[in-house]
Amino acid sequence: MRTDPPQALVRPTRPFRGTAAFLWTEVLVQAHESLAMATAMVTQTVLLVFVYILNPGLIGVALIGATLFSSFALGQRVLNEAAYIRIDHKANDLYLAGPMSPEGYFLGMATGILVVYIAPIALLGTLAVVVGHLNVVTSLLLVGLAGLVWLFAASIGYIFSTFFRDNRAIWAYASLFFNVFGVLPPVFYPFGYFPPALQPVALLMPPSAAAALLQSRIGVTALSTGQVELAAVGLVVETLVVFVLAVFWARRTVRGP
Amino acid sequence: MSDDPLRSVDLRKTYFTKGTPPVEALAGVTMSVRSGERVALLGRNGAGKTTFLKIASTLLRPTSGQIEVFGHDVSTHPDRARPYIAVVPQEGKPFFHLGPREMIYTYLRARGLSRETSKARTEEAIERMNLTEFADRLCITLSGGQRQRTMVATVIATQAPLLFLDEPTIGMDPFARREVWASLRDLTTKGSTILLTTHYLDEAEALSHRLYIVERGRVLVSGTADDLKRSVGGTLKVSLPEGAPQAETFRSFGETVVDGPSLTIIVHPERLGELMELALARSLTATVGPVTLEEAFLRVVGRNIDED
Ligand SMILES: Nc1ncnc2c1ncn2[C@@H]1O[C@H](COP(=O)(O)OP(=O)(O)OP(=O)(O)O)[C@@H](O)[C@H]1O
Ligand SMILES: [Mg+2]
Repeated sequence: MRTDPPQALVRPTRPFRGTAAFLWTEVLVQAHESLAMATAMVTQTVLLVFVYILNPGLIGVALIGATLFSSFALGQRVLNEAAYIRIDHKANDLYLAGPMSPEGYFLGMATGILVVYIAPIALLGTLAVVVGHLNVVTSLLLVGLAGLVWLFAASIGYIFSTFFRDNRAIWAYASLFFNVFGVLPPVFYPFGYFPPALQPVALLMPPSAAAALLQSRIGVTALSTGQVELAAVGLVVETLVVFVLAVFWARRTVRGP
Repeated sequence: MSDDPLRSVDLRKTYFTKGTPPVEALAGVTMSVRSGERVALLGRNGAGKTTFLKIASTLLRPTSGQIEVFGHDVSTHPDRARPYIAVVPQEGKPFFHLGPREMIYTYLRARGLSRETSKARTEEAIERMNLTEFADRLCITLSGGQRQRTMVATVIATQAPLLFLDEPTIGMDPFARREVWASLRDLTTKGSTILLTTHYLDEAEALSHRLYIVERGRVLVSGTADDLKRSVGGTLKVSLPEGAPQAETFRSFGETVVDGPSLTIIVHPERLGELMELALARSLTATVGPVTLEEAFLRVVGRNIDED
């Protein structure tokens, strides 16, 4: 009996091959970290308590902000995870020197982390809907915007992860980036409180852009048509650009310089 | 070039790091691995083995030279080479929060194998590498050698056409190492090709059809283990534990090495009788054994170090 040599059976790698499998891998891996899941909610909860003490009337805004911030903060998890498994486990070498696609590795990891952390985010979102009496369209908008913010953050997180050679450096920088861009701009508080000179900047940063759009829908913030367009177009374009960049970067960084 | 699983011509790699002088890790490596072969790369720490494996497995860009996997140029089209390969990275670890069974299965799925194939190959690899007892325990609870076995099992289960294994048996007990050898032999009879590195020279000898000894980024010698052993000028080694003071007397028989009070002589079998008679006449006790690959390695590399 003559059998084909193994190389005769090789098929070229398809784009995004392995995404679902790596998603599942990541779910299994992350599901063991129940403590991490709890700590993931600490910043949001603290800020919600602050806002409630200072002005209970703003708790609806803060809950929307907490939902968006939580989606944004998942980018930090992607950064940590991608760097950790590359540096400590040599997972890049194991997975990417093979037929799995690099973009499947990145997207599978990002969605796996999303799946594991979705429950607390959904809880915050539900609270935002209930407490703020959000109608169906606004609720769907919240979901859509949170999704964009997540994709943006996960893409940035993956790209950043490739720059680290040592896990110790990451802990410091990752939380800095995600806390500064997620907490400082008007995500948890009304857009109007932000210095007017800096407002265009806030409209160009995904978490605060999404928050401003939702705040304007529920009437907490008055945005001009131009501002709405800037926030909406900016968010969509930035997310797409960063996602495409992350796919490109994932492919490119399989191989070291 | 050709459709050999692996071919490199004058492959060079220099690492540039800011603030330190450049490191020439590969200084022109030309080699090839034929279909179904098991080839070992041997060399001291820092010789360039991992660098070569990383370039060949599309994980590192060469500085210059050519390298092909099944006829695909790895430098220009790494994506075309990737579907053919699988890698056990040096110091790789399985995911701590998966068990060996989950690790192997999800890895095969990520490589695009079907559920059925992945399932069957996972069970086969678990059995083969004796992981059954702890296949469902989290890897974080496994011993170092058990983790390494999981890594090797994961990669072996791919049955990829070309496997790169960087110190695959490090930290394994002698039984586990033999299981790895058997699995690798099996894979090559099924048509896969293997390039591995190891510091265990008995392993290199037991496992590989051919060896390359590299030193400072260059191939010093290549050939079978027997070729290599012959190249040191004899296939037998006579040890005289008290022979050092009389080293001069024995010099004519072959290469001699003095180590403290003891003397070792490498001889051809036809001169053994004569040598033993002389030892007896001098009331020296002597033990005879075959020259090992380790001795050949020490001499080949040692000579090269002396020359520099
Ligand atoms: N990222 C790097 N930057 C700079 N120099 C490097 C880098 N990686 C390896 N080197 C150097 O290149 C040379 C070859 O290293 P390599 O890892 O290929 O050796 P090796 O033969 O695999 O050694 P070992 O047996 O210790 O694993 C060494 O001198 C090493 O210090
Ligand atoms: Mg090495």
